[in-house]
Amino acid sequence: MASSHGNSTHSESAKTEQIITEFFAKSLHIILECRSPFMSSRNFSGEQALSSPSSSSSSSSSVRPRDKWFNLALGECPAALENLDLWRQSNFEPVVVDVILVKRGLSRTQSLKESGNAYSSDHEEVFSGSEEKIIERWIVQYDTRKPREKGSTSRRTSSNVLHTLYKKSILLLRSLYATVRLLPAYKIFRDLNCSGKLRPFTLTHRLLSFVEPFTRKEESEMQRFSFTPVDTSSGRLCLSVLYHSSVSDASSESSTPMSPQFIPDYVGSPLADPLKRFTSLPVSSPSSLPFSRRHSWSYDRYRASPPAYFSPSPTHSEPPAANALRFGPVNLPPQHPDSSSVHKTNYSYDEYYPSPNFTPSPSPSPPVYMHGNHLSNAALLRTESAPVCIPKLNLHPSLPMNDNSRPSRGSKLDTSTGLPNTGVSVEKVFFVKDDSKKHYGTKISTVNSSQFSISRSSSRSFLDDFDDSDFPCHFDVEDDDPMYHGSRPESFDKRSHIGDQMDPQAGGTFPIKKSQDAAVGALVHMLKKAPPLRQELSTSTVDSTHVSSIRAEHPPDTSSSVLVASKTTADALEELQGFKLMKDCLLSQGGGTCNVAAGIWK
Amino acid sequence: MNCEVCQLKELEVEHFEIREVLRCILHTIVFHRALGLVRPKVIDLELFDITYVQCGDGELEKKIDEKIEQFISWVEKHPNKKSQVCISFYEVKNKHPSWFTNKTERLYWEQWYINLNVSQQQKVHSGKSHPSKIVVDPGGNSLEERSARRAALETSLREVLFQIIKFVNEKKDHVPPISDGVVYFPYEVTIPRWILSLIHEI
Repeated sequence: MASSHGNSTHSESAKTEQIITEFFAKSLHIILECRSPFMSSRNFSGEQALSSPSSSSSSSSSVRPRDKWFNLALGECPAALENLDLWRQSNFEPVVVDVILVKRGLSRTQSLKESGNAYSSDHEEVFSGSEEKIIERWIVQYDTRKPREKGSTSRRTSSNVLHTLYKKSILLLRSLYATVRLLPAYKIFRDLNCSGKLRPFTLTHRLLSFVEPFTRKEESEMQRFSFTPVDTSSGRLCLSVLYHSSVSDASSESSTPMSPQFIPDYVGSPLADPLKRFTSLPVSSPSSLPFSRRHSWSYDRYRASPPAYFSPSPTHSEPPAANALRFGPVNLPPQHPDSSSVHKTNYSYDEYYPSPNFTPSPSPSPPVYMHGNHLSNAALLRTESAPVCIPKLNLHPSLPMNDNSRPSRGSKLDTSTGLPNTGVSVEKVFFVKDDSKKHYGTKISTVNSSQFSISRSSSRSFLDDFDDSDFPCHFDVEDDDPMYHGSRPESFDKRSHIGDQMDPQAGGTFPIKKSQDAAVGALVHMLKKAPPLRQELSTSTVDSTHVSSIRAEHPPDTSSSVLVASKTTADALEELQGFKLMKDCLLSQGGGTCNVAAGIWK
Repeated sequence: MNCEVCQLKELEVEHFEIREVLRCILHTIVFHRALGLVRPKVIDLELFDITYVQCGDGELEKKIDEKIEQFISWVEKHPNKKSQVCISFYEVKNKHPSWFTNKTERLYWEQWYINLNVSQQQKVHSGKSHPSKIVVDPGGNSLEERSARRAALETSLREVLFQIIKFVNEKKDHVPPISDGVVYFPYEVTIPRWILSLIHEI
């Protein structure tokens, strides 16, 4: 019994010793397996490949005997540990593993071997300006301090003791296996091991049998994690780690996905291509249109406010689809419809919303004027006669002008470039020559200012009618006149006055349809509000010369209807004066001709 | 033999994060309790920058996934509640076969409670969900908030894993002896608030 007991104790101690030795080997294997990237790259991948399809039952046969220790099959042993048993004198020496982060300097002279080749830790690399830093220190030691009252209380058999020791070692090593992958240095290892890219840093390690103490400063930066020691009959197995809690400065490229950033000038964005112009589509009704864009950078989700700024750098109402928004203040790219197109199409809007600067409303249903800037209007409700930068005019409502349908009419007037659209439209109203012999002059002359009201719809309608030659258009001139000039409603005001006065001389009446009166009145109203037309001095001069030539051509006493259009009020005043003169002449001369440059229309 | 209980720190998860979080925690626990021969398998989480260890057993993986799906379906039926997943390890004691029973007795020696607070409800699969539950993220939809919340969850998950490791380290005496040829201690996963137990026995 005693001998058996002695044998058992001897064997127990021998087995304990064996367990401790294997514990060292296993723990170092676990640590180095994921701290030296190039050494164990094959092991790393090999382990994964082996472990995934296998079940525990089949794996036991393929596991090397030594690998079965602690029921943790890890695969190939790192090369550094192959001779571990040799250089370790006894189990009483600690094993210290320093995991070192080496930051390479800018001028590297080392030649990095391709991934997959073995890279031993002994490989000397010549770095210039490399920096080493111990980011982890693992200490595995068998503490042989006298255990507390171990033998007396324990009546367990040696097998129990060994079994308990083994079981606890297994548990410790399991937790070591999990911990080593939760510490910050694992990310660096994984980054080095798994990606084929070159990095400006690497991991090396040092195996020591003694502890080089850290400086106090160094130690203060590190944290300690100690595993619960495993008691043995003659001591304790201790495992602890000192680690830097943050090694984020080491890796330049983080493996974590970057949070999405808003790219303001992505390809295809309005910002990237600010000169890109888009025809803006005015809205006929002031309803809030859905923000369904046709263009690539639009998407249906509305988060930000609609575009705020009308003029020079209008903002986009929606951020681009590709980028999720993570920022507080929304940095919206500028809106694509530019100011000129806005001005082209939205004179009416300008009139009602004269200030181009309005605060963005967060609601997804923007006010009316915004809609002109949106491309969501699928239909081009109006086309412009000339895509030029047209000075701002609030002359008339947004009258649909379909230039294509009346080439004959608009041709002459279109050549008078520089005219604002409104001006053109007005001109066209008055200048257009209609084959159906409309009585332009008669119809317009008796229009009083009060009756000269144009509502949007009616004006639009009559211009639609205007397009159609079958419809009577009161502003059409007769076909036998080469050029007819319509006057401004302001001049109409005056001429109506004169016309009333001249009625007896003209001998004609000026029947005017009431519906057109309203339209004309509205036109007058708007024109009154319009800024002076001094911008079109060039055109007005052209017209005035044209007018004067017409006037020269058509003497006032002819029965032909001649319309004189004066571009400016100055011209209108001139005409007025001319009429007055004429009147005076007639009155004074009693019907004698008076060559006055004025136009008479019936 | 006493039963050791470990209450893990509560995690606030969103619906789509449940699967990964539960897989991570359950596999970590089982890995520490599968004391038979294993070939560990390292898994990197997708949603978080965390790596955990599995036992490398396909069957085990499937069973745990099944239980997670059951939990998810339970959570969908009981939304916005604090929920628990309990994994219990027991020993099978064969009672003396008496005249009325031949059943075995279970002696639980360890219980882990995973506390989850599922915050967002996204009705993805359940067709019976009430339309009112289809929600946007509560409390602001900004990505800053979401990434901050995600980072906080990652930190908490890491803390939970360390909690498991510390518990495993500190309490070893109650673990039953390892039987030869047996990899896993018998365990069961339950949702305490709803009796659903699946028994896994060797």
